Amino acid sequence: MIRDITIGQYYQTKSALHSLDPRTKLIGVLVYLVSLFLFNSISVYIIATIFLVSVIILSRVPLSYILKGMKSMVFILLLTVIFNIFLTPGVPVFTFWKFRVTKEGLIIAGYTAIRLLYLIVGSSLLTFTTTPNNLTDGLESLMKPLRAFRVPVHEVAMMMSIALRFIPILLDETDKIMKAQQARGADFEHGNILRRAKSLVPILVPLFVSAFRRANDLAMAMEARCYRGGDGRSKMKPLKYKAQDITAFITLAVYFAAVIAAGRISPI
Amino acid sequence: MSFIINHLSHIYGEKTTLEVKALDDVSMKIADGEFIGLIGHTGSGKSTFVQHLNGLMKATSGQILYNGEDIYDKSYDRVKLRYHVGLVFQYPEHQLFEESVFKDVCFGPKNMGLSEKEAELKAYEALKKVKLPDEYFYVSPFDLSGGQKRRVAIAGVLAMQPDVLILDEPTAGLDPTGRDEILELIKELHEGGKTIILVSHSMDDVANYVERLLVMNRGKLVMDSSPGEVFRRFRELQGMGLAAPEVTYIMHKLNVFELPVNIRATTIDEAADSIMSLFKGGATGAR
Amino acid sequence: MGIVETKDLTYEYIRRDEEGNVEGITRAVDGVTMSIEEGDFIAVLGSNGSGKSTFAKHLNAILYPTEGSVFVDGKDTSDPANTWDIRQRAGMIFQNPDNQIIGNVVEEDVGFGPENMGVPTDEIWVRVEEALKTLNMYEFRKHSPNKLSGGQKQRVAIAGVVAMHPKCIIMDEPTAMLDPLGRKEVIRAARALNDVEGVTIILITHYMEEVIYADKVFVMDKGKIAMQGSPREIFSRPEELKKLRLTVPQATLLAYELKRRGLDLPEGILSGDELVREICLRTGKDMEQEKYKKALSEFAN
Repeated sequence: MIRDITIGQYYQTKSALHSLDPRTKLIGVLVYLVSLFLFNSISVYIIATIFLVSVIILSRVPLSYILKGMKSMVFILLLTVIFNIFLTPGVPVFTFWKFRVTKEGLIIAGYTAIRLLYLIVGSSLLTFTTTPNNLTDGLESLMKPLRAFRVPVHEVAMMMSIALRFIPILLDETDKIMKAQQARGADFEHGNILRRAKSLVPILVPLFVSAFRRANDLAMAMEARCYRGGDGRSKMKPLKYKAQDITAFITLAVYFAAVIAAGRISPI
Repeated sequence: MSFIINHLSHIYGEKTTLEVKALDDVSMKIADGEFIGLIGHTGSGKSTFVQHLNGLMKATSGQILYNGEDIYDKSYDRVKLRYHVGLVFQYPEHQLFEESVFKDVCFGPKNMGLSEKEAELKAYEALKKVKLPDEYFYVSPFDLSGGQKRRVAIAGVLAMQPDVLILDEPTAGLDPTGRDEILELIKELHEGGKTIILVSHSMDDVANYVERLLVMNRGKLVMDSSPGEVFRRFRELQGMGLAAPEVTYIMHKLNVFELPVNIRATTIDEAADSIMSLFKGGATGAR
Repeated sequence: MGIVETKDLTYEYIRRDEEGNVEGITRAVDGVTMSIEEGDFIAVLGSNGSGKSTFAKHLNAILYPTEGSVFVDGKDTSDPANTWDIRQRAGMIFQNPDNQIIGNVVEEDVGFGPENMGVPTDEIWVRVEEALKTLNMYEFRKHSPNKLSGGQKQRVAIAGVVAMHPKCIIMDEPTAMLDPLGRKEVIRAARALNDVEGVTIILITHYMEEVIYADKVFVMDKGKIAMQGSPREIFSRPEELKKLRLTVPQATLLAYELKRRGLDLPEGILSGDELVREICLRTGKDMEQEKYKKALSEFAN
């Protein structure tokens, strides 16, 4: 079921990671991603692993919950691994039929798998520990300089936050519409691609109609509550760096320095 | 005999910490031509239950026999079951999608594999049954009023000529006359021989129309009796977030004053008959 | 001058066909003159398409009159300079609970209005806490709105308006999509706001039972005010209401039927308790006896 997807869903608990400023976490994720791609060295991966594990422990999000979110990503992960194993030229380890598996391929596949996995876990830790609104607030604040270039930063952030609120509602609605059309004998599972695509019309039309109706209602409700864009708005939860954010930034800097040092000293 | 339901259960997230029993050991029989009401608080399992009857959802355990055949048999065609057991969802007008009313009503019959001609014939009959005036047949369903849209959506299910018709809150959001019109329509369909299951939040509606009333609570079927008998237990109903019709409360309160009234009365007529009998003989305030 | 004053309020919109050609003009609201006193609980009844929702949207400056005028708290809605004042003073609740909640967390949604008004951060928190407590939703402040029941969502929406400190709240069929329990919650909340906080409530509905406590009822039909008066006055005219696609509460209906059959009852009985009292009087029962009182008190739900 579409509703089972936990990736990107906020996990409510109290932890050191939860109470960090969203901007700190956003920058942290960015730094972590960069660190993963800078070097291809075992020592760097060891440091990255230690860092990730400690952050997971700090987040107090249960491992089972994190892994459940990974389920939907297994396919992509496998695909990249397979491509890397078979399509990397180098010293052959063994061959069968037209495929050749190389030593380099295995190594790169291993690295890529770890990178991807860490990347997904790292960024989903951000969404597990940050409420969607907090996240958009953080993004809005970090992207503020872009306003000089006439980027509608507030509007984009508001759009994201509304999208986040309505995704579960629209998923529910899709489910309902599908069932209702099935009750009228609609068949979404059989036939060739063309027929299946055609069978989506009875779902998509009502879904669009409903989405527009909701958008219209919501716009009216927002106006009725005095919404008039970002100017003159105050914040209920203004972002403020606290002592723990400074600690986090220092930790992050130490981590990054360690990665660079390790990458330089043992490049493999 | 339409339905025999044996120990039907539906469990979400079985064997996890989030296990929810949406249906819990529900058993009943439904005969041909019955007019049944189904009430229950939001989340009581009534919507889940009716989606089992037309095979949209599959039970975790238990058995459903429709006309003597087990619908969970490997050889049973559950897609065909949907043609025999029509299900009209809540706010069905939200599922309209075609460019004209007529085309939309043809959707069901066409899915059944009928020819264009046959499908149109069935659609025409269905639209006649819901009493939509002819001039609306070729307009866009989105241009109709709320009540008309609701009729078209019901016609969309009727066009498959189901033997059993299940309606989930068919009067939600309509004004009082709109509600009466839809209920009268359902009554006519019942008189035309269809088995009806009416899922409703409105105690007055079920009191006025159905012959048998089912009450669900936390996935269980907790009452199955005539409306009069069910509403007599209004205290239990209140404990489930439900209520009885106002008429029932009036009769019970009169009963507190040791007035011999019929506490099973649920409709205005029944109540009026019973109250007037108190004043027989003219020893009353009646002039 | 009342909190809401409309004079000959008329609203027309142009119907167009698919090519955009003018098909005709529909008059959704037609010459409505209404005066609402501050602190009143007002109900507006009307069938689907009677123009009651279109009318309501004028009180919050979402729509502007084609002809006539609307004054809210002494301010003309058609003057754009007044728009934000009016929207703050006359809050609005809509039918669909899902489509009016903006925040992903209950407290953030309640804070949305004050944020838009530029209220300082500390005061927003005070207002949010107050509003949530008034609506008995404080314990849900950290919840996602998606996990709440319909009645709870509607109470969050009301809290969102209450946090803006309005003088008047317009509720446009707030109970139409709710189950009976949710309906009760919302109506109870509306009455409490009116009783305790003195907020003027304008409730638009087609559930008759919700109207019996109103100070005044307006019935709309085809954009016009067809009837107005106290609930008792309105509900003593069931035949007229029926013609307007409406009805009367069940107790009133039963009283009406009893009268028709010759029982001498007063006009416009509104509640079951009233009817029970009248019948008892006519059977000569002494209602003051302790045993009766005790048995009756068990009905309170």
